[in-house]
Amino acid sequence: MTDVSPATRDAATEAEEANAPQVESIRRSAWTRLRVPVITVINLAAFFTIWEVFASTSLVNPLFFPKASAMFSALFTGFADGSLLPQLGHSLGNLLIGLVISAAIGIPVGLFMGANKAADLILSPYVWSLTALPRVAFIPLLILILGFGNEMQLTIIVLSATFPIIVNCMAGVKTVDPSLLRAGQVFGTSRLQAYTKIIFPYTLPFIVSGLNQGIARGLVGMLIGELLGGSGEGLGYVLDRAADRFDSATLFAVLLLLAVMSVGLVQFTRWAERRVAPWRERNAS
Amino acid sequence: MPQVQVLADDRKDAPGVSPGDTLISVRGVTAGYDNVRAATRLIALRDIDLEIRKGEFLAIVGPSGCGKTTLINMIAGFVRPISGTIEVRGKEVTSPGADRAMVFQDYALLPWRTVEANVHFALENRSVQVTKEEASARIAEVLDLVGLGGFAKSYPHQLSGGMQQRVGIARALVTRPEILLMDEPFGAVDAMTREAMQAELEKIIAASGQTVVFITHSIDEAVALGDRVVVVSSRPGRIKEIIDVDLPRSRFDDEVKRDPRFAEYTQHIWNLLRDEALGAKDER
Repeated sequence: MTDVSPATRDAATEAEEANAPQVESIRRSAWTRLRVPVITVINLAAFFTIWEVFASTSLVNPLFFPKASAMFSALFTGFADGSLLPQLGHSLGNLLIGLVISAAIGIPVGLFMGANKAADLILSPYVWSLTALPRVAFIPLLILILGFGNEMQLTIIVLSATFPIIVNCMAGVKTVDPSLLRAGQVFGTSRLQAYTKIIFPYTLPFIVSGLNQGIARGLVGMLIGELLGGSGEGLGYVLDRAADRFDSATLFAVLLLLAVMSVGLVQFTRWAERRVAPWRERNAS
Repeated sequence: MPQVQVLADDRKDAPGVSPGDTLISVRGVTAGYDNVRAATRLIALRDIDLEIRKGEFLAIVGPSGCGKTTLINMIAGFVRPISGTIEVRGKEVTSPGADRAMVFQDYALLPWRTVEANVHFALENRSVQVTKEEASARIAEVLDLVGLGGFAKSYPHQLSGGMQQRVGIARALVTRPEILLMDEPFGAVDAMTREAMQAELEKIIAASGQTVVFITHSIDEAVALGDRVVVVSSRPGRIKEIIDVDLPRSRFDDEVKRDPRFAEYTQHIWNLLRDEALGAKDER
């Protein structure tokens, strides 16, 4: 359309506006950029210093509460003498395998339940009761069936992580814009295509937040399995053994390691959450 | 506009129905929604008879809740009537089909896809067999047609509402459907963009020759666009009158809008709907 009708002029104006948004750059001082990391470093340094001073007084029993320095040195020696790394590897490996299995079960089941009323009706009572039931309750049964070992530890992780993923996917599917599904019908998508081209991408942010919760629950499951499973492997086992030996420095070192690990995983999924659906942020603003 | 000519010539209309003949027939249709919990049925439309002719632009106007959306959903094939039949080319409508494309009020674009990929969505199914080259040629063609040539790689959330609806129109046109169903397509865009889009739609349809069923609650819009205007009353929806709009095209020359007949048509329709419109206001 080369003629300049009101309509094309309108399109041209719109195009111009979209191409050249009125953004001017402003000066950012070094402090604005570095504020968050600097404050975090000072904050943590102060925390461990106060801890150190507090633990050095006779107010607490060093048997239960080590100095911060002792904790760090236990952490260092643990990695240096190679006693900690295989245990960390075992735990992380189990967690990751467990999460992959949970995602492979939870995502399709959740999507299917969310989109299919009959499946929802039939499976709901089981899914919700298994979601609500504390995972520890399964331990005696699992030990009975699987014995003390890796299968049991992995199973408890899968049991812990699968259900939050299912529930989140289900909730996500219910937010899918019905007019998108109608558009799918109009343009002849098959049922399977509706899942892969509309429902799955639309639900992706919910899937990621399901994984986020799955990680948190899976970590709990991992520790329960290692603490009660008695297989002699994993960070939970190190915790258990350290407590038996009144080795509070190692105990706290492992707790610190677990805290870092959890925060890292949760931050990763939060980052992923923002990445998978940039349009949602835009809509929210 | 040679490209547009291609679009019109290439459209795969089944033979046998020439312009002016009945293409869609709605016979004795009653439709409604069951409320299973309350064990009640809301009748949205009662005893609708309507013949839609090939090549015409049919506007359906009525107050909110008069069932006009139900009617277009039945023609699209999402909703089945409780009684009566809807036929396209003498074949009963039981499901959506490639001969009918729809433009939605809320655009219904996939937010994770670019403009281009959104238009491509309409070509991704069994019934449309096009080569990659043909698909991208067609997409470029319809995007040019709706004035979005430069926005193929943009995402919907980067576009204004009016532009998003252009994508919706492009997506519907890319399959070269015989019938274009439009459910209040400009209901969500601002008034200025709306008028521009109406003018552009008239031009697009003049070039591509689709049969259009256009739902609106704006009397002005119905008269400005429709070859015929179906006036629907509410609760339950019934056809009050079908009006032939005898105004020259293009209707968006300023002359036509100042034509006294334009005002007569809108006044006449307003008179038909006034009581209901005022009644509906009270209910809200």
